[in-house]
Amino acid sequence: MLKCRDLVAEADLLLAGELSWQRRLAIRVHLLMCRHCRRFMRQFKLLLSAIPAMHKPASEAEVEQVMQHIQQQGGKPLDQRPRGE
Amino acid sequence: MDNDQLELLRNGDQALFAQLVRDHHRALIALVTPIVGSSEAEEVVQNAWVKAHGAIASFQGRANIRTWLGRIAINEAKMQLRARKKELLFADLSPDQAHSDPLADNFRPGGQWQQPPANWHCDSPDALLMEADLADCLARLLTGMPANQRAVLEMRDSSELPFDEICNTLAVSASNARVLLHRARAELFKLVNHYQETGEC
Repeated sequence: MLKCRDLVAEADLLLAGELSWQRRLAIRVHLLMCRHCRRFMRQFKLLLSAIPAMHKPASEAEVEQVMQHIQQQGGKPLDQRPRGE
Repeated sequence: MDNDQLELLRNGDQALFAQLVRDHHRALIALVTPIVGSSEAEEVVQNAWVKAHGAIASFQGRANIRTWLGRIAINEAKMQLRARKKELLFADLSPDQAHSDPLADNFRPGGQWQQPPANWHCDSPDALLMEADLADCLARLLTGMPANQRAVLEMRDSSELPFDEICNTLAVSASNARVLLHRARAELFKLVNHYQETGEC
């Protein structure tokens, strides 16, 4: 019988769609019975969707440094390119 | 980024390119840091932006733009390693099997929850990791994370690169990459859960 610890260990594979249908069924049955695991899955998915935004935006000084580096390396300012280039 | 913005970007909108830098620069630095080290990550990403600037007209929008930028940055990182005649060697490339799951203490010996997850107050993905106190703790956690775990997390969950590409880049097996990713995610979950429960980390 599937335990809460198994569900947590297999959560990545479940979300990646890499579990067999039997295992998915066992997890679904377990989730019906276990509110702690339902909460875990809901919050685990929330966490994964938050990860791409976990890095703060660059400062204006960093942006300026990158744009200057591009120009120094021969890149034309983008808005001076002919349209459609 | 919607299709209209993408079209403007491809056609040379400088303000939009600067916005792209603003949105993704630090994520790209985090992506290449486990590969080339923190001292060289900035230079690698600066060069990656030059390449991205030159190629933006060819970006079709089929991939997530972070993924597209991430591939360019990783290629630059590999070029940097070759130029320095270095190899990508993580000291702890194979997951240390003796190291337990970060959430192991949350379970009773029988496998049921002993300390179930707290009920998180925040339900917005954009806000969840951005609270100032938590963001500082998160930065410390990521800095202290083993390089191989950090690399897999940044590649898969931040830049959304496919698993086979990650395994090729890091020269790890798919099963090892899965273990590394699970540990990294579990560390993050533990940190956020503790913060949501106690207000500190």
